[in-house]
Amino acid sequence: MTRDRIPYAVFTLIVAAAGWYTDNPYYLQTLTFIGINTLLALGLNMLMGYAGQISLGHAAFYGIGAYGTAILTVHWHVSPWLALPGAVAAAMLVACIVGIPTLKLSGYYLGMGTLGFGMIVNILFREWSSVTGGASGFVGIPSLELGPISFSSTKNYFYLVWGFVIFSFILCHRIINSRVGRALRAIHDGEKAAAAVGVDTAKLKLQVFILSAAFSALAGFLYAHMVFFISPESFDFIASIRIVTMVVIGGMASVWGSLIGASLLTLLPEWLHAFSEFEMVVYGLILMIIMIFLPKGLTRGLLDMFERARKNK
Amino acid sequence: MTDNNHPLLQIESVSKAFGGLQALTDVSFSLTQGTITGLIGPNGAGKTTLFNLISGVFPPDTGTIIFNGTGIRNKKSHQLVSLGIARTFQNVELFDSMTALENILVGQHTRTRCGMLGSIVRLPWVAEEEKKARDFAMELLDLIGLREHAYTTSGDLPFGWQRLLELARAMASRPQLMLLDEPASGLNIVETMRLGDLIKKFRGQGVTVLLVEHDMSLTMEISDRIVVLDQGKKIAEGTPRAVQEDEAVIAAYLGTSKNKADG
Amino acid sequence: MQEFIQYFFSGITNGAIYAVIAIGFSMLYNSTELINFAHGEFVMLGSMCMITFFGSMHLPLIPAIILAIVCVTAAGLLFERLAIRTVKNPEHIVLIIITVGASIFLRGLGMLIWGKDAFSIPPFSSHPPLDIHGAKLLSQSIWIILIFLLTTVGLQLFYKKTLTGKAMEANAISKRAAWIVGIPSRLMVTLAFGLSATMGAVAGVIIAPVTMCSYDMGTMIGLKGFCAAMLGGLGSLWGALIGGFLLGILEAFGVGFVSSGLKDATAFLLLLFILYVRPGGIISSADVKRF
Repeated sequence: MTRDRIPYAVFTLIVAAAGWYTDNPYYLQTLTFIGINTLLALGLNMLMGYAGQISLGHAAFYGIGAYGTAILTVHWHVSPWLALPGAVAAAMLVACIVGIPTLKLSGYYLGMGTLGFGMIVNILFREWSSVTGGASGFVGIPSLELGPISFSSTKNYFYLVWGFVIFSFILCHRIINSRVGRALRAIHDGEKAAAAVGVDTAKLKLQVFILSAAFSALAGFLYAHMVFFISPESFDFIASIRIVTMVVIGGMASVWGSLIGASLLTLLPEWLHAFSEFEMVVYGLILMIIMIFLPKGLTRGLLDMFERARKNK
Repeated sequence: MTDNNHPLLQIESVSKAFGGLQALTDVSFSLTQGTITGLIGPNGAGKTTLFNLISGVFPPDTGTIIFNGTGIRNKKSHQLVSLGIARTFQNVELFDSMTALENILVGQHTRTRCGMLGSIVRLPWVAEEEKKARDFAMELLDLIGLREHAYTTSGDLPFGWQRLLELARAMASRPQLMLLDEPASGLNIVETMRLGDLIKKFRGQGVTVLLVEHDMSLTMEISDRIVVLDQGKKIAEGTPRAVQEDEAVIAAYLGTSKNKADG
Repeated sequence: MQEFIQYFFSGITNGAIYAVIAIGFSMLYNSTELINFAHGEFVMLGSMCMITFFGSMHLPLIPAIILAIVCVTAAGLLFERLAIRTVKNPEHIVLIIITVGASIFLRGLGMLIWGKDAFSIPPFSSHPPLDIHGAKLLSQSIWIILIFLLTTVGLQLFYKKTLTGKAMEANAISKRAAWIVGIPSRLMVTLAFGLSATMGAVAGVIIAPVTMCSYDMGTMIGLKGFCAAMLGGLGSLWGALIGGFLLGILEAFGVGFVSSGLKDATAFLLLLFILYVRPGGIISSADVKRF
């Protein structure tokens, strides 16, 4: 039990050191975005990698977290720390309502059902302008404060986000290595057989769907209080696809894969700015090339390559 | 043959049709607790249909199936496991990416309680439960002789071992009734003998077994009773010896030229 | 009444377009069990090629259409050969992410070639609109419906009358059986990619005069086509037709009688409704492959 805590302890040290030594606000901000995206990827990875259910509409939960806290803090003047459970609970409730009929679908029909749900939520953000600010976005989201600590400083926000990430890692690690996690992986390997050994597959799939919605909403909350301005584009279909891509590129069914996938998909556009108008072409090409040559994702793919290199020596 | 002769499973005039095809007509029999019953019949006799009815894949058109005094008509597969019915699959359906040990741990799903929250908080009882589950899983691995492969990914095990592992996984749910769908298919003679021993060990622990099997020598050797189906109807029931001498049975098998007896 | 007919006209025009796109999705799904998220980008390429050949280079109509379709089909074949076939032991989700990558790549390519501006071209012919009970049927709508009919009838003939078409159908029904009788399934997959891109191109070509075309038009229209294919039942050509027209007509009435902001929502609400009531689409096909 204690041995598998080591990677997390090391990881925490790395995060702390990164925060300590980085002073450039641009770097800190990019690292913070990686943290937010890691939460998104982690949530979806629980659903896709472990339970084997796809969602092409996860940006909706991300958006519900962001708009939820925006509406609660700005319109209703609720403290952000109360808005956090509020927004997360809202996303979980929506996930529960949507999940019950949707998770009966499978394969592409599940993909399409979640996609349709994501589109409808996005249109709601766009069209319900009296509440959400419509297409022009929602402005004036307050920054976070906790007693004397102000999270308006980039460094403090970095620590806050990564604190949540580490907490979520441990949480997921515990779930995966428990009775529930085994049942999830069983569903992934064979739903019929899982039911035949007594797993209530419908209930468990719904639970994971709700859990992963909660992670996405948490990410949305952190995003909203970081940039203070949100607009529907951040939560559209392309955003949903980006989360799926993070999971697959990083590696399904791997906590660290989520981190790697999120890092790559956050950093890549930053690096590619240098290509100016070639940015999109190169981005698309890189995605294709990674998937063509490392179809198991970066984590597993690089490990395999390392292994092979060692054997050849 | 434990306690009394009280029937664990009663199948009462069950019929099932698929479109125009009458797969089962008015079939009745019952399983006595702690016995092995072999369900045999030529191809297309309705064995698989009956198996699927009992394991809750679909309900019968008419008739009832009563397990331990309760009807199991609208129960889903996972609910049947909680009631005490476990099954295996003809083509072996293990969780291929998980280790042998983990497969058996999943098998104990209905006998353990820790949920999503429990796994996050990890209260002492969760650790306790996990430890007990692992110990029991190891016992079962011992029983099938796979202890040293506890941490091998089940998809990498040879087929014969996968069969045994699937049986152990079914046993992990501590069932009263075990439904085995052609457990010997794909096994060689030595493996089939080990399988027969294992099934008898299960009976020794009080488990009732319903065996659908093509391998006649295995079925005749280990079964206490045999039920014979032909063209959707029950044509004979009795001890292995009595059934082997039954003229209707001989006719049914010779008539279809699918005689696998002694084969 | 006049309004009603007007919305109906606009509905069947859009429906024809969605149907052509949906056929492209279904066709590919039949042969490969794959959803191509870059399909919308093939529509975009079709439109943009048409804008170059017909709008800027002033080629005559028919050669411009043929040239545009040939270019896009070639792009589809190239995509299959370079990206899809290169993957060893493909898992579905991996192939899907590759098509996502391709869609970003093609969008970027579109931006490089045509810039960020939106274009349109004049209708294929300058006949005055038909007047039916006061409702107007534009000449381009007639073109769209005619080309749609030509395409679907052509496809039917291809599948039923030619050996290649029959081979493709056989391959779609059972790959193994097709392989046993000697149908090269590899080639069939390539063909399916090519034909599916052709469908995208046809849709792109016919909508060029009725929408503003730009490098990023593919995402939404591709999704609508996907939606139509799912509505009808993935993998069924008739399903694609039904889904396409159902979507087009309902959307048109949604815009007309409810609100234009809800236009896109109609498609997806309808989709969710149908999926919940009939999880396999209106014409359910066999089991849909898991991811």
